[in-house]
Amino acid sequence: MNKPECMRIALACGVVALIFTIFSARLVDLHISKHAEYSKLAAQKHTLRQIIHAKRGMILDRNGEILASNLPVRKVVADASQIKDPAIVAALASQFLGLKEADVLKKISSQKKYIVLKKEVPEDIYVALEAAMQKAKVRGVTFEQDAIRIYPNGETLGHVLGFLNDEGKGVQGIELTMNSLLAGNDGHRFIERDRTGKEIMLYRGTEQEPVHGKNIRLSIDMTLQSILEEEIDKTFEEFKPETVTGIMLDPKTGEVLAMVNRPCFNPNEPGKAEPEQMKNRAIIDMVEPGSTFKIVVAAGALNEGTVNEKSSIFCENGRFSYAGKILKDHHGYGDMNVHEILVKSSNIGSAKLALLMGGDKYYEYVRRFGFGERHGIELPGEIAGLVHPPARWDKLTITRMPMGHSVAVTPLQITMGMSVIANGGRLMAPHVIKSVEDIDGTKILKKTPKVVREVIPEKTARFITNALVGVTQIGGTATYARVSGFEVAGKTGTAQKVSSKGGYAAGKYVVSFVGFMPAEDPRFVCLIMVDDAKTASNLNYGGLVAAPVFSRVAEKAARHLDLTPTLPPIPLQDTPMAKVETLNEATH
Amino acid sequence: MTTSFAPRNSSNPIQIAKALKYIAFAVVTGSLGLSYVYLKNQQFALADEIRLTEKRIKQVRAENEVLLAKTTELSSRRALQQRMTSGSLHVVHISGDKIARLTPASPAMQDGILRTVSNERTSR
Repeated sequence: MNKPECMRIALACGVVALIFTIFSARLVDLHISKHAEYSKLAAQKHTLRQIIHAKRGMILDRNGEILASNLPVRKVVADASQIKDPAIVAALASQFLGLKEADVLKKISSQKKYIVLKKEVPEDIYVALEAAMQKAKVRGVTFEQDAIRIYPNGETLGHVLGFLNDEGKGVQGIELTMNSLLAGNDGHRFIERDRTGKEIMLYRGTEQEPVHGKNIRLSIDMTLQSILEEEIDKTFEEFKPETVTGIMLDPKTGEVLAMVNRPCFNPNEPGKAEPEQMKNRAIIDMVEPGSTFKIVVAAGALNEGTVNEKSSIFCENGRFSYAGKILKDHHGYGDMNVHEILVKSSNIGSAKLALLMGGDKYYEYVRRFGFGERHGIELPGEIAGLVHPPARWDKLTITRMPMGHSVAVTPLQITMGMSVIANGGRLMAPHVIKSVEDIDGTKILKKTPKVVREVIPEKTARFITNALVGVTQIGGTATYARVSGFEVAGKTGTAQKVSSKGGYAAGKYVVSFVGFMPAEDPRFVCLIMVDDAKTASNLNYGGLVAAPVFSRVAEKAARHLDLTPTLPPIPLQDTPMAKVETLNEATH
Repeated sequence: MTTSFAPRNSSNPIQIAKALKYIAFAVVTGSLGLSYVYLKNQQFALADEIRLTEKRIKQVRAENEVLLAKTTELSSRRALQQRMTSGSLHVVHISGDKIARLTPASPAMQDGILRTVSNERTSR
């Protein structure tokens, strides 16, 4: 081989080597030097962070009845850049989703990569639409998993359950207060898709499992709730009041067994409800309680030794002049002991007990019974009520507060106050949540009864209970609260309604009855409160409007709780309103 | 001058051992390549099956939840009450003599109909 030939071969080899060296250098540059940059770019182009939605926990009643659950639905999403034939997509969407073809075409023509065609598509429609799209070989339409919250009982317990907003966050009730536990945490995975939009399973990246929401078991007993709802509904229909509230709780544990407000709303359709319908008046409304508040002064005076069980209080024959004002009783009474003061619901007797106790001591008992403070129930918006300290009282306050005026309390506070008497003197912390459970039913958190404070000794509570039994006996103010076979203890309340313009609204009353049964070993305390019942003023009393409702609720509850009657059946008594109607019919 | 017509003994014999070595190498390399492709295809096919199974599981779970929601709704107190009101569900009256009582019976009203609550009003 001659020299020029060798040179040419060497040159050719050199050129080839140079080319390969340049390629190698470029490969090194791409794979090593710019690895991170190009990896990121590739990931952005192909890898998606797919959200794995956590399932929201259910809300159950104490017996496991489902009160709030989830209905799986789909969100139909289009990627306009992937759609080859918009007309077919529009036609299918119109056929299955009930959308107008023109609207779908307009949406798709925007060339966006994420176009929501329709939300909350039921599963059966999704299955049919997907099959049709596969048959038509349509690309670029995906179906995202979603869920809507359903409340199978509609209005029942709506105020306690609450509802969710469009983003799936709790807005009211348990849905709000327990949102973090109910919601859980979404998981995610990194995935890659092929050019048809299908996931390439082989390239599935890291994955984080979702943490599903916890189930919340309430202390509510749906049977008792239904009983209370039914009776409250009847009362709302019959008396056409502004509001009616009913609360039933276990005095020994503080567990709320039922809570009803009218007007109410359907949490499945919160958008249709007025704000007034959404208020859980049991905890956010305050009223002057009226005579139900007399238990505080009676218990306080006895406990402080201001009076004893036999002490006589002169009730001024129904007219008591104090600080330049006359305080009246419904009837004129002479000397009465504490028992009789409660049975007859004497305003003068109660006022005199408070005067004997002194303002500071009386105020202390009002606060010890839980008035003027939030109980801390697991529901949003609870208010503390309004109990002024003695320093801010006028001269009349000490005579007005014992009969439930010059003080504003929530229906829950009244019920808790009566629970103190029912359970032997302890103020319990009310709660509506019984336990928090994992999705498989394992209890994560169990609420145990909590004693807030010892308010009065058991002996005093027993004495007051006996007096409250007298209230429902012949001669008391609440004979219509009696239940055949059982001893009922309770107290009526009738308070003139406070006007929003100041002072009292003429002819408008808030009437109530709060009682417990069986008196000797109470299983429940129940409050019925009717605000501005449309009835004759001579019939608008707690003993005539609210007490009969209590009686019906208590009797049905006794059957549900399987309470054994301890007394002989009482003669039947029709409700006072029925009596009036019968009289009217007879005269017509 | 002597002329020899004997054939030249300069043939290129096939080196079978060497050829076999190359063939074996080619076969092994080819097999490895094909196996890789086959396995990769199998992987993709299996992954696709997993994807479809996952989808089916999700679908079944969703159907299960839909059924649970429907069952809950249909067996809710509100639904049962509506069915009672509409007459599609009836409560059969059990006569008093067929009830074994553990607790005293609640007295009936004047019309003789037993009620859940003794003081419930007869009519409005």
